[in-house]
Amino acid sequence: MMDILFLLLGSFAILGAIGMVGFHQPVHSALSLILTILALAGLFALLSASFLFMVQIIIYAGAILTLFIFIIMFLNVKEANLPKEPTKNITLFLGSLALLPFNFLILRAFYQMPLHVNSVESDFGKIKPLGMELFTQWLLPFELISILLLVALIGAVVLGRKDEA
Amino acid sequence: MSTLSVFVVILNVILALLFSLGLAPILVWVERRVAGLIQDRLGPNRCHIKGIRLGGLVQSLADMLKLVFKEDFQAKAIQENFCFSLAPVIVFVSAFLSFMVIPFADDLIINGERFIMQGLPTDLGILWFLALAGLSVYGIMLGGWASRSKYSLLGAMRAGAQVISYEAAMGLSVVSLLITYGSIHLGDIVAYQGELLFGFIPAWGIIVQPIAAIIFIVTAFAEANRTPFDLAEGESEIVGGYHTEYSAMRFGLFFVGEYVAMSASSALIVTLFLGGYHLPYLNTQTLQTTMPYVLGFIILTLPLGSFYAMRWIKKHNRWYLKSDVRNTESAVLQKGLIGLNILVIAGLGALLYLGLTPTSTNVATAVIQVLTFAAKLFLMNFVFVWVRWTLPRFRYDQLQTLGWKVLMPLAIANIVISAIIIVVKGL
Repeated sequence: MMDILFLLLGSFAILGAIGMVGFHQPVHSALSLILTILALAGLFALLSASFLFMVQIIIYAGAILTLFIFIIMFLNVKEANLPKEPTKNITLFLGSLALLPFNFLILRAFYQMPLHVNSVESDFGKIKPLGMELFTQWLLPFELISILLLVALIGAVVLGRKDEA
Repeated sequence: MSTLSVFVVILNVILALLFSLGLAPILVWVERRVAGLIQDRLGPNRCHIKGIRLGGLVQSLADMLKLVFKEDFQAKAIQENFCFSLAPVIVFVSAFLSFMVIPFADDLIINGERFIMQGLPTDLGILWFLALAGLSVYGIMLGGWASRSKYSLLGAMRAGAQVISYEAAMGLSVVSLLITYGSIHLGDIVAYQGELLFGFIPAWGIIVQPIAAIIFIVTAFAEANRTPFDLAEGESEIVGGYHTEYSAMRFGLFFVGEYVAMSASSALIVTLFLGGYHLPYLNTQTLQTTMPYVLGFIILTLPLGSFYAMRWIKKHNRWYLKSDVRNTESAVLQKGLIGLNILVIAGLGALLYLGLTPTSTNVATAVIQVLTFAAKLFLMNFVFVWVRWTLPRFRYDQLQTLGWKVLMPLAIANIVISAIIIVVKGL
């Protein structure tokens, strides 16, 4: 059962990723990205990381990609104005060939990782232990990342606003 | 899995179906009749099956039939067939799934087995609702975009911007709630609300966290795209908004999805702020210890209530001609009431006479709690309808100002205050 689910979710994730690169229309690309993200959320759920599962859907699928699609629709590019990509397939093929060595590297690293065979505790991946871990052991990195995000946010606003003449 | 657990799981799914999908035609009826009431007219009340009108409830059935058998028209300009058909399905499914984590009653214990009384027995609780509320906007945006019409696209854009901005305030108001309740599991949240505050006030969310309650209810209206936040389908400006190009059952899915989403929002409001399935002053434990008295109370009050209901029917639903088909309705209703009384009194009387076992007490508690939840849900849905026919629509800039400049700072201030109070109380 778990294997079938894993295979299904994995293939959906890969299909979505391929579609995201391959589609001509930007809206279709964004929609396939949503498919990938939902499939990834499902994979998190299979790993009994329930909090990550929910956060993946709330933040990525629910907020960030809504904004993507919103902006794409806002621009409402006509079919005729989209750039023509006659060499797209060849470029994609060559690109994936160039990335092949990296894939082997990642696979090697993956197979050298220790296998986790022990079953996890019942509250693994729930919101409470995760919060405890974040706010005790990883407090400083957590806060630093928040400040980084805040800086990025303010930077975007500062760059984006018009000069007051 | 034993037969018992299979039975309870099926029962839970049926309850979730009833409260979401089964409530939709009733809500359509309530909407029309309340609109009539507020605008000083009658509203639909003529549709009948052999004289039985149920105050116009049969009209919803006729409407449903009409939607199913209408021509499914699609303009030639619409080329995105897949997206166009997928959009209403997303709206409907996400509204429906978000109902699945609402607890209808306290955990039911039968023969030592513990059952969570939810559609989906998971403890993700409020996160699940937030996730699906975020997903449902894709249906609206996709439908508006795939329609290839200016009105639809405008409606979709409005819906998108509105949901993004109100989701922020909603999430923040939920954070302050979670600080107070100390859990994301809705069952724990309801259990907290069963306690008493200062010994005499029920510790309902609306009393413990009034600001969060106001923010959450306002944002829930916005998330469900209901008036005063229904700019996505503002008839006076953009025809039908995102569902302008839809017809027949594809429109029907949008339509039903809107009511299911409204019902899910009300269910969550009831669970978070109005004590969930608890009767005031009677949490699960008290209810179980005082069960004989509660049952006795029901046996005494049910005939009294039915008596007045029958008198009302006799007074208001009688027609001069004996052969008038509408007179059969009164007869059927009265017989139904009498039958219900006999059934309930005989059942409860037998239960009391034979003596309550722990299992029967638990089951009776669950039944009473499910009924309480249903009553509260219905009341909250009524508030949604009431607001729709009372308040005018916001202007778009007013909507964004309210979301970002009023609700959001208020929610953040509320988080800080709640956190300070919790920490000071814990010292």
